[in-house]
Amino acid sequence: MTNYYAGLDIGSTMTKAVIMDDSEIIASFIGSTGAQHRKLANRVMEQTLEKAGISFEDITCVIATGYGRINVPFADKQKTEILCHARGVASLFPTARSIIDIGGQDSKAIKLKNGRVIDFVMNDKCAAGTGRFLEVIADSLGLGVEEMGQMAFDSKTFVKISNICTVFAEQEVSDKLSNGVPVDELVAGIHESMATSVHRIAKRLVLDKDIVITGGGAKNKGLVKMLSQKFDHPVLVPQNPLITGAMGAALYGKDLVAKQDDFLKNRKERKLKNVTFFE
Amino acid sequence: MVATTGSKLKGLARVEECYNDYGGRARELKSDGKGIISFLCAYVPTEIIAGAGFFPLRLRGNVHEPVTKGDRFLEPIACPFVRSCYDLSLKGKYDFCDGLIIPHACDSITTPYHVWKYTLEPKYSHFVNVPRKTTGPSLDFFKAELNSFRKSLAEFAKTEINDENLIKYIKLYNENRTKVKQLYELRKSDPPLVSGSDMVKILSASMSLPVEESNQLLDESIAEIKTRERSDIKSLPRLLIMGGTVDNHDIVTLIEDCGSNVVCDSTCVGTRDLIPRVEPTDDPMDGLAKRYLDKINCPRTQRDKVGTTFQDDLEARFGDVGKYAKEYKIDGVIMYTYRYCDPFGFEISARKAYLESLDLPNLYIEDGYFAGTMGRLRTRIQAFLEMIE
Amino acid sequence: MPKEKIKKHKKRLTATKSAANVASFVKHNIEAPIAANKEGRPTCYSFIISSYDEIIRAMDVTPAWTESFAGICAAKRDSARFLEKAEEFNFSRSLCTYALCGLGFDIMREQTGEMPSNSPWGGQARPDFMLSSAQNICDPRGKWYQAAQEFMPDVPIYNTGLQWPVFEEDVNVKDVEEYYVKYHAEELRGLVKFMEKQTGTKMDWDKLSETVNLVERTWDLIWDTYELRRAVPTPMDTGDAMNTMVPMVFLSGTQRAYDFFLELNKELKEKIANNEGVAEEEKYRLMWGGGLPSWFALNDFNYFHSKGAVFPVEITYRIIEPMNRLNIPDTNDPIERIAWRHFRFNTFWYERARQRPGSVPALERLIQYIEDYKIDGIVMHLAFSCRTAHLGLTWQLSQLAKIYKPIPVLITGGDKQTRKILKKEVPSLIMESDIVDISSYSEVETRAMIDAFIDTLADVKSKKV
Repeated sequence: MTNYYAGLDIGSTMTKAVIMDDSEIIASFIGSTGAQHRKLANRVMEQTLEKAGISFEDITCVIATGYGRINVPFADKQKTEILCHARGVASLFPTARSIIDIGGQDSKAIKLKNGRVIDFVMNDKCAAGTGRFLEVIADSLGLGVEEMGQMAFDSKTFVKISNICTVFAEQEVSDKLSNGVPVDELVAGIHESMATSVHRIAKRLVLDKDIVITGGGAKNKGLVKMLSQKFDHPVLVPQNPLITGAMGAALYGKDLVAKQDDFLKNRKERKLKNVTFFE
Repeated sequence: MVATTGSKLKGLARVEECYNDYGGRARELKSDGKGIISFLCAYVPTEIIAGAGFFPLRLRGNVHEPVTKGDRFLEPIACPFVRSCYDLSLKGKYDFCDGLIIPHACDSITTPYHVWKYTLEPKYSHFVNVPRKTTGPSLDFFKAELNSFRKSLAEFAKTEINDENLIKYIKLYNENRTKVKQLYELRKSDPPLVSGSDMVKILSASMSLPVEESNQLLDESIAEIKTRERSDIKSLPRLLIMGGTVDNHDIVTLIEDCGSNVVCDSTCVGTRDLIPRVEPTDDPMDGLAKRYLDKINCPRTQRDKVGTTFQDDLEARFGDVGKYAKEYKIDGVIMYTYRYCDPFGFEISARKAYLESLDLPNLYIEDGYFAGTMGRLRTRIQAFLEMIE
Repeated sequence: MPKEKIKKHKKRLTATKSAANVASFVKHNIEAPIAANKEGRPTCYSFIISSYDEIIRAMDVTPAWTESFAGICAAKRDSARFLEKAEEFNFSRSLCTYALCGLGFDIMREQTGEMPSNSPWGGQARPDFMLSSAQNICDPRGKWYQAAQEFMPDVPIYNTGLQWPVFEEDVNVKDVEEYYVKYHAEELRGLVKFMEKQTGTKMDWDKLSETVNLVERTWDLIWDTYELRRAVPTPMDTGDAMNTMVPMVFLSGTQRAYDFFLELNKELKEKIANNEGVAEEEKYRLMWGGGLPSWFALNDFNYFHSKGAVFPVEITYRIIEPMNRLNIPDTNDPIERIAWRHFRFNTFWYERARQRPGSVPALERLIQYIEDYKIDGIVMHLAFSCRTAHLGLTWQLSQLAKIYKPIPVLITGGDKQTRKILKKEVPSLIMESDIVDISSYSEVETRAMIDAFIDTLADVKSKKV
């Protein structure tokens, strides 16, 4: 009988699911978490199951992670995204010793040793260093975030934005624009500022290479370029940087089943249904 | 539910009652004619207040009550615990108190003294100027300062605060400290006999009662814990929580919910101030001065460096935590401090270095003083526990 | 690799030549301990207003003023890298930013063994010992150097205990002064012993007495000089005073400081004779009522001037009173004189406050200056990282309106909550900012607030007429 493992990463904006068998990922899916905190998480799970061509009962172990991991009735266990990102990245990049995850509303830095987490730092208080920062600026400039990322990547110079705080940075950008500073240099400056914020958070851990970037921020070419500059050597980016958490969760499930002979016997009954409202 | 002597509750049930209605017993005593003097922080000598015939009530905050009125005159850059106490005071929670004593503890407590005094208008208030250093001239100064306080309070009380009374209350408070230590001993086993969350409640409740009643409550609680049927506390990673005034159980409950037992602490409603004793001295003021100035190991006090190396000094500054860590077989430490706290804030690096020298995994959390922030901390705490598994 | 475009920073205009020359003093203060280190002469980290200036000068120790250095980093807009370095070591951003800047710098210097590249004016010299100041003023004055010792474990600290009684209207300071002064004097003697051990030299007590005498004469001179600013139009305002504070607090006990104020005194008298003011047309006389300024935004004073608003008087860094009103008891012991002078200075306004119900010493001082200097409005700055200088300012302003009269107030710093509250009591506007951390400051918004405040003052004045 084949074992299947599911990992579900319920982020503040996106929910990611991964289903694997004993050797590889057989399906993955990314959907919206929904305004009402994970009410749609089960739907993401359903779509992933469809892609994989299996039913929920076929899954040996379901691990939930991410912001909304609590109160997922169909998960066997919940683990933090720190542990799961580490597990996911370690399987993709065995030489990785640091991970920086840049999400929509938070960012974190994780230090690894032999694939295990030995230290971490989180930023979820301040928009600086998260996707939100870029969104706000993009909005005020009337550009798309991807567009801005490309602009930053292509620009040869950047104008330093001294304000890290999102609101003040927005003002500073608008002020400089009206004083004639070219928009691409400004956008590059914004990405440099973002990279500075991220770097600041990460510096507390004294990160060693190889450094891997995950999350939505990893898809931003301009940001990745600025981060490589900050860390003084190239940072690595997974092919699909959004699913490393879910993948890690599934792998954790696989490890768990391997460790416990009677896992299936002791596993509680669970059905795939609506997630309850998170308080 | 009001905490009154009419209450038939004892032991842990009484703890629950007193914790949820903090100050209830004091309010009742007031209506019976007793004078109540409130105070902030561990540095105020309760023995002197009790010796004058008052019930000394330590001010507590409430993480479930957002600061609203307190915003009026206490700027947000003040310690959020102090702001909560001030906010509650403005809202009348402590309006039955006759007096307010504030010590020279840290900036957030010291600087706004006049704001407290002129906006709350207590019948009596006094500032106890605790020096920063602990030995020699500083001890002499503090003794003189305590005698000024004694004189001033005696005038308000219209009664002499004589040595016999002081000695009587020193004895009673020392008994209290002994009982608190006994309570802590119940956490040495694996699993501990009482949860960290319940500990916070018991200690807070014991602070809300006059020392004689507090002693009785502690006796009852210890007996109950020892003899009750096995609780459902499991054997989990053993943590020590280190920080300032952690007087609400919510954070400890969260930490334990994430999969741990908080078996010891170094906080201001914990080992830092509820255990050190007053040594007997000919002049009781000497014992009081020494105990309050030197035995409370709080970062606001600035001790001279010991030894030549950084490590020697760390041992002198934080060795008490290291001792507890060993005695209670600690697996990890959570440093939990409030934002805008200079005394702790400046020490985090050194504390971390000390814990690392003992190979103790540690997590640093800087938080506000509001239950609403708890959810945000869950991931950090859980990830820390996953890390030390 | 993308390069950064850098904008050049212009030098600020001052009303007096003396103030303009202060930059050379500051530079000297930064360079002197670096030179002393090279020449093998003793150096120490020091805090201002800590009562040990005379002792330092009399023992020929060269002080490195850590607060000054942080202020310079801020003024030169080069503090970010040091603040970030401190954060790397888990020093929270909510702490005193002077300390964060200093600690960050020390860490960088100790990690590499040399001054960080392009350190402002050569950088902060590594000290032979550090003089903490365990007193009423603030927590960082004890915790900062203790924290720095992690990175310089071989550098010893002496912590001078210095207390003064907090004002209580039912306490006469005469009842407690003896044991307070005794304590301070003992601490100062301990300091002398410590410094003798560190430097390997003995204190020259005659020299100390002379230095104490010099400081006292300097206090009187500064008092006389600053009082000249009562003139209408005022010959000098806070914009300059934020410069002239340098010799007052960093060169206390030196002939250089005394000579500086002689020059300034002369200059002010000349300006008064020529009816020269600070602004082209002096329309509004303001007081800087409290809080430390944003060192990177002193240009804001010039902006005020452009609108006809000047600051004849300030609370901040005016840390002198005339000797004849301090009533120091007769004593030949220089240590006793220092202790008494500080006690009297720190309790100077207490008796006055006792006479007026609801008043506190800080308010008495505000009231005196409002009357002496004919003040139309007050400006205050709530820097978010300095608890000790800023907690209670909101209440002070509200209480001032109650026990004296409501006066228009502009508060820079603080946050939305404080703004809402004060708007009810006095016309006021607030935004967040800090003494060193420029990331919190918005020049655009600040200028807009100043404009709005000037409108308020104009409005009030027109109603009076």
